[in-house]
Amino acid sequence: MYHYSPEDSKFLVERVDQFEKQLNRHLAGDLDEAKFRSLRLRNGLYMELHAHMLRVAIPYGTLNSSQLRALADVADKYDRGFGHFTTRQNIQFNWIELPEIANLLRELSDVGLHAIQTSGKATRNITADPLSGLTEGEIEDARPYCELIRRWFNLHPEFSWLPGKFKIAINGAKLDETALRIHDLGLRLVRNSKGELGFSVFVGGGLGAAAMVGPETASFVALDDILSYLESAMRIYNLKGRRDHQKRLRIKFLVRELGADEYSRLVDEDWQQTKDDPELKLNLAELEELKKDFALPIKPINLNGFEEKVDFNYSIWKKNNVRSHKVPGYSIVNISLTKLGAAPGDATSEQMRILADLAEEYSESELRTTKRQTIVFPYVRKDQVFDLWQSLEKYGLASPHQGTLAQIVACPGGDYCDLSKAVSIPIATRVQQRFDDMDKLLDIGDLNINISGCENSCAHHHVADIGLLGMQKNGEEYYQITLAGETLHETNIGKKLGPSVSGDVVVDAVEEIVNVYLDNREEEERFTDVFKRIGIKPFKEKVYE
Amino acid sequence: MSDILEPKSIVNKANENIELVEFDEFINNINKYETLGVGVIIQPSDDIILLKDSLYFIELVILDFNNFDDGRGYSQAYFLSKRWGFKGEIIGINAHLDQLQFMLRSGVTSYELLEDYKGFNEEDYSNGFSICYQAAANNSGLKQKY
Repeated sequence: MYHYSPEDSKFLVERVDQFEKQLNRHLAGDLDEAKFRSLRLRNGLYMELHAHMLRVAIPYGTLNSSQLRALADVADKYDRGFGHFTTRQNIQFNWIELPEIANLLRELSDVGLHAIQTSGKATRNITADPLSGLTEGEIEDARPYCELIRRWFNLHPEFSWLPGKFKIAINGAKLDETALRIHDLGLRLVRNSKGELGFSVFVGGGLGAAAMVGPETASFVALDDILSYLESAMRIYNLKGRRDHQKRLRIKFLVRELGADEYSRLVDEDWQQTKDDPELKLNLAELEELKKDFALPIKPINLNGFEEKVDFNYSIWKKNNVRSHKVPGYSIVNISLTKLGAAPGDATSEQMRILADLAEEYSESELRTTKRQTIVFPYVRKDQVFDLWQSLEKYGLASPHQGTLAQIVACPGGDYCDLSKAVSIPIATRVQQRFDDMDKLLDIGDLNINISGCENSCAHHHVADIGLLGMQKNGEEYYQITLAGETLHETNIGKKLGPSVSGDVVVDAVEEIVNVYLDNREEEERFTDVFKRIGIKPFKEKVYE
Repeated sequence: MSDILEPKSIVNKANENIELVEFDEFINNINKYETLGVGVIIQPSDDIILLKDSLYFIELVILDFNNFDDGRGYSQAYFLSKRWGFKGEIIGINAHLDQLQFMLRSGVTSYELLEDYKGFNEEDYSNGFSICYQAAANNSGLKQKY
């Protein structure tokens, strides 16, 4: 597993030292709130409804056991004993006292963790497929590229004060677990007709009030040219992006207003001036070194004669939570943190320590986090999956919800977030209670429900099979329903079903939608395929009849 | 690799007598200023590209960093310094202590801080790091890892 070098660790400490000085000036009244806000956000610190919230990066979603234990310590020492795994491979702590932030960040830097650029108008944490390196058919493990590009835009002198936040995802797999086309910039690893490796680039995707699928701005950028291309893409945004309208800051508005062709032309024009600059070439030697650090720590094993245990509950859990691994003899295990009444993605410090210990015992001390707010153990021997399940059962972590409707993605919502227009977690709980029958869940199969409390769309409701968006109408909480959003096979924004429905009946509406799906499904047909075949009308009729 | 420019931290006294003109005035009267050797004052919204062909007779450029959240000045400094190799001074005015590191690395060669920052140690904010992860106009004093 990749570890920061001593010089990288020193950089993290230097960043904390700098932020501590800024914080002290602010607390002494020498740095006004507006400027401090801009600076604290670039260090991952938000002011939320009740306290400060800190967002810590989990680069490309990969953690080791020591890092997870350090996060558990932070949860106990500086929060109220829990953390929240987000949809973008970060973890958030919601009860941080401002004067303690520097000590907290120093403790994280000891294990190579940080909160640099996890917020603010700069390049955010770069996300990757949580199964990077693990599945068949992958073009390449995206994580070494994530790391090189993350570094390049870390306190970049030219691009640290952009018009808006800038989220990048990189995918090297066949299926798109990263949802790269709803990012400000998405990179897909591809091979050209000569078999050379490079990237397709998609710019201007995004969710929120104006959800957009990012158009392709370059079909193939050679590996060593990617940094200069990214700089040009950001330079055009930095100079021409909307800074005059708070709701049009993101690059998607620039791309829409200029048109994708014109934006691409401007980027290309700038890029032609820089692409041959040797200083901007991706360091291929460093890339090869990084690939060694990210190499899988396992080798094929022969399990001839191994017989799987027979247990009803185990078999249900295994069906939903365990995937095949490209390395013979191994499995990929998905662990759901879903619990009734708790925010999806929430984990207590005790759970974090248990997961850290179990990862040490069963998964080469490595864990991954996913946009569905689950934890992945990437290297579990097939003959140890049953033992792992038993341990998870013992600690209440063997929820078999992965890949079922009950694995709901929800933002913290009105219970915690001051931007939210409506609650999310109580709605998720009510949906889970309504579908509290494993046979029914198994029958429904893989169906995503995502719930966002406001247009900021932190729960990615636009790209769920069933998306719920919280809003206010005459002082009451309502939910707009969108259907058939997806990113895995292709990227589509969900279609609005009709007028928003009140919080009192939204769970009934969800049930009606699921029933229409089940009534019309042919064999193993996915929700989005049924929707494409029968259209929106049958869903509309049932919900609004 | 571009020349490394050391920040001078104060506006060069040798430039005190140079006539300064606003960007629009300069662009609309380029011929008038060609023989005078002027300094041009650029606002974040000004299109720096329009200066490219006139750089040979511009003595210095002043970039205004007053708006804390407006990052266009960093790209303007980049164009002048790294892309076009402008040899005159690139002066950041209305500068913020907490942004010195970004200004200097983008190519600003001297600066004047806003009054609010008097009494604070500039060194703390311009040289707080030992390493950098990307090429830039000025990486002096930093170990380069990329």
